[in-house]
Amino acid sequence: MYGFNFKMNMHYHSKYRINPEMKMIHLLEENHLLLLMLQHFEIDFRVGDSTIAQLCKEYDISENLFIRIANLYSGVRVANNTSFSKKDVLRVINFLKNSHTYYRSDKYPQIRNFIFQLKQNHPDKELKLLEQFFDEYFAEVLEHLNYEDTIAFPYFIALLENKENTAASTNYSSDEYSEHHTDIELKLKDLKSLLLKHLKINDDWMLRRQLLFALYELEYDLYIHSLIEETILIPAGIGIENE
Amino acid sequence: MNKTLQRTQQHIVILEASKIISEGLYDILYRSEINCKIDHCDTLDELFELLETKTPHILITNSMQFLNREKEIKKTRKTHPNIHIVGMDCMHMPKMNSLFDASFSLYDSEEQIIQTISKLFEKLSFAHQTKTDDDSLSDREIEVLTGIVNGHSNKEIAESLNISVHTVVTHRKNIAAKTGIRSQSGLTIYAISKEIISIDDFS
Repeated sequence: MYGFNFKMNMHYHSKYRINPEMKMIHLLEENHLLLLMLQHFEIDFRVGDSTIAQLCKEYDISENLFIRIANLYSGVRVANNTSFSKKDVLRVINFLKNSHTYYRSDKYPQIRNFIFQLKQNHPDKELKLLEQFFDEYFAEVLEHLNYEDTIAFPYFIALLENKENTAASTNYSSDEYSEHHTDIELKLKDLKSLLLKHLKINDDWMLRRQLLFALYELEYDLYIHSLIEETILIPAGIGIENE
Repeated sequence: MNKTLQRTQQHIVILEASKIISEGLYDILYRSEINCKIDHCDTLDELFELLETKTPHILITNSMQFLNREKEIKKTRKTHPNIHIVGMDCMHMPKMNSLFDASFSLYDSEEQIIQTISKLFEKLSFAHQTKTDDDSLSDREIEVLTGIVNGHSNKEIAESLNISVHTVVTHRKNIAAKTGIRSQSGLTIYAISKEIISIDDFS
């Protein structure tokens, strides 16, 4: 009831709270999508018997940050009262960059490939349009990711390393970042609606299921991604600007 | 129990700082026949944050949460007229009754609590029956959709159909809610797949 209802229950406190003495392998049994988190943190999947505390030490990540993000992945949104060190925020930026790589070079191309195959198998006009829809969408996503990589993240890094000059000398600010934050999730929902409610495609179960699984996996990670930006990165940026 | 009650999912928010109470209520609701998803907030401020992005059908709150914050509640009522508020009474608080649409006591039985909430839902589903029951577009909505996929602005659509821009916006919202699609390009694919327009018209 609690695992996959994460979106519905994000304000509902889960039955267990992650603590540093828990073994990572047990958390993965509960929610295998935490593998995405490990990848974005650059933690090897072969976690062995390590506890969270041991992993954090080995990979030089603060337990505070690790647990906050692990909680987000498990659908627990803990009250936003802990503050993060500059090192933590730099780590978050690296995490977000790695997730960009996952979107750009892994998930979106995979989805594109599924849609392409589907179009090959079913030469209907709708699927040709679906491919076109996806390509335009993918182009928008790439533009947004590039914007974050080349403008937003460098701004935050400069802010962390040398706060006096950056906030004063650029016109950019954390506020603007949150405004620019486009809703990439919207068209993804459109895609899902088209496949689940409207487009009539016969058979091809395996391909359609693979496509839907990929869309759900992407949607899940994008959702956590924006939560991390909104609840960790932007508040930290505003905090430094106001100092 | 009313059929719509089971079919359409209702969104409930519990505003209660006590874990024992909120989890108890959570379990009672999930055990009942009410088809609902539940969010939880500890404080009124957390609730306001949630309301920025979501509009639940029902808010169940400890009446103590509203103490000395009547003004804010009345304001929220105005900005979110569709939320029904159920008060949970831990003690007698006659002054605040005007803020609630219904209430129950912590010591009510499980059946009484479910009945109180079901009654509100029946009222709700009655009000929204036409919306929740049918996902197919009305003739007017199809006309508006055709305008959208042909790239016409709200104003142009309004003029050609002889209705107000405000009405066009309402139709657009309903189209998005029914189809689950918001973007113009997504709606185009929808319209072609339902043969509302043909691909030749479109190109």
